[in-house]
Amino acid sequence: MKDLHFRNYFKNFLLDLEDFITIYDENLHVFNYEKLVKLSEKEIILKMNKKEVIIVGNNLKIKQMTNQELLIIGSILKVEFKYE
Amino acid sequence: MNKLIWVKFYNNNYYQLILRLNKLGITIYNSKKDKDCILIKIKREDYDKIKKYLISYKTEIYSLTGILKIDWLIKKYIIFIMAIIISIIFLLICNNLVLKIDIKNNNNQIKDLVQNELKANGLTILKFKKNHKEIEKVVNKILDDNKDTLEWLEIKYDGLVMIVNVTEKTIIKEKEEYNYCHIVASSDAKILSLNIYRGVPLKEVNDYVLKGDIILSGDITFNEEVKNRVCASGEVYGEVWYKVKVEVPFKEENIKYTGKNRYNFNIKINDEKYKILKSRIKNYKEKEINLYKFNDFEINLVKEKEYVVETKTLTEEEAYNKALKLAQDKILLKLDKDESILLKKVLKKEVNDSTIYLEVFIITKENIGLLKVTDVAEEDANNGSKPN
Repeated sequence: MKDLHFRNYFKNFLLDLEDFITIYDENLHVFNYEKLVKLSEKEIILKMNKKEVIIVGNNLKIKQMTNQELLIIGSILKVEFKYE
Repeated sequence: MNKLIWVKFYNNNYYQLILRLNKLGITIYNSKKDKDCILIKIKREDYDKIKKYLISYKTEIYSLTGILKIDWLIKKYIIFIMAIIISIIFLLICNNLVLKIDIKNNNNQIKDLVQNELKANGLTILKFKKNHKEIEKVVNKILDDNKDTLEWLEIKYDGLVMIVNVTEKTIIKEKEEYNYCHIVASSDAKILSLNIYRGVPLKEVNDYVLKGDIILSGDITFNEEVKNRVCASGEVYGEVWYKVKVEVPFKEENIKYTGKNRYNFNIKINDEKYKILKSRIKNYKEKEINLYKFNDFEINLVKEKEYVVETKTLTEEEAYNKALKLAQDKILLKLDKDESILLKKVLKKEVNDSTIYLEVFIITKENIGLLKVTDVAEEDANNGSKPN
């Protein structure tokens, strides 16, 4: 239904409910993560909306971090999703 | 506005630190890892949280940003900043303060009068300079108050000195009346005309007189006895002779401006001038416009006007006429309106390769009568007689 789609879109715009991951060059931007589970040079595990995101790479570092967003830098080799 | 700071953590475990900061809900704006420390950019208020909860970490504020940095810089360099501010204030005060008043006039009475007037109008030393409008007001007021004494007044500033140019009113005095005087010859001459208003003529028309000879005497005599003494007056015109020597070169140099102008700047420090740009014209004359002046320091805009020197070779006749005119002009400079040249004659003419030399004899008609005031007592002492 078109109406419902619009309502969801507007709700998300206002409340930032959707989560997403953007990767470009050696940067990985995560929006709306719930928890930082593990952080190491080779692996970062994040908890996001009923799934776990496993980022594998080398020399991984947190460039910027807020309660909602994360900017990870380093050479990213793999991004894995584990659904509960 | 977020006040951000860089915090230095003396710790090597980067990942553990980030996790702990994450647990505390601290926003990280940037992070760097060095050999033996970790640098994290956070909000200023989050630093207090770190101090409170991460006791085991040795931390210090590494660098500040934004307003915090400005605040920190001000606190750190407060003495330097204060010194600069005080210097600027001092310079401004120096630039606007009057330390000396220079009144340009030879008359001490006028000087005192102007000084008192300036004082009454608030223009004294160790006071701030006034603007143009205020100065104009004061000048007009002083001139109005001293209409009979002052003709013109100008006030200007030169560095810390206030220069006051003042001209006093010149009262044309009526011709003084003397009791006893003679009219004497001002130079050697032959008398051409004699108009006697008062006194006794001792010479006649066509008589030759030497400089200082009495022409009209103030002694009124009868039977060779001085009966009365008056101030002789009259007009005596006579022939005066001059010998004028002039030399004129055949080559005449004239400066002609080409119309090509270039602009430059110069700095003047203690009467020494330094040009900022190299002059691109070979022969030029300068015209300066002052842009900035502070005491002995000046910055001027210089207009360089190019010129060429044109050499003209005169013929012998042209040089001769020029020399003759030059000789005549030399004499005319000395003459008044009612005096004239009666005759001119070339006595000697010498022509060299480069110059012409003339010796010109000129006869003029001049007023040769000169008033000589004589002291009666002195005259009596010289003559050993008294008027009856």
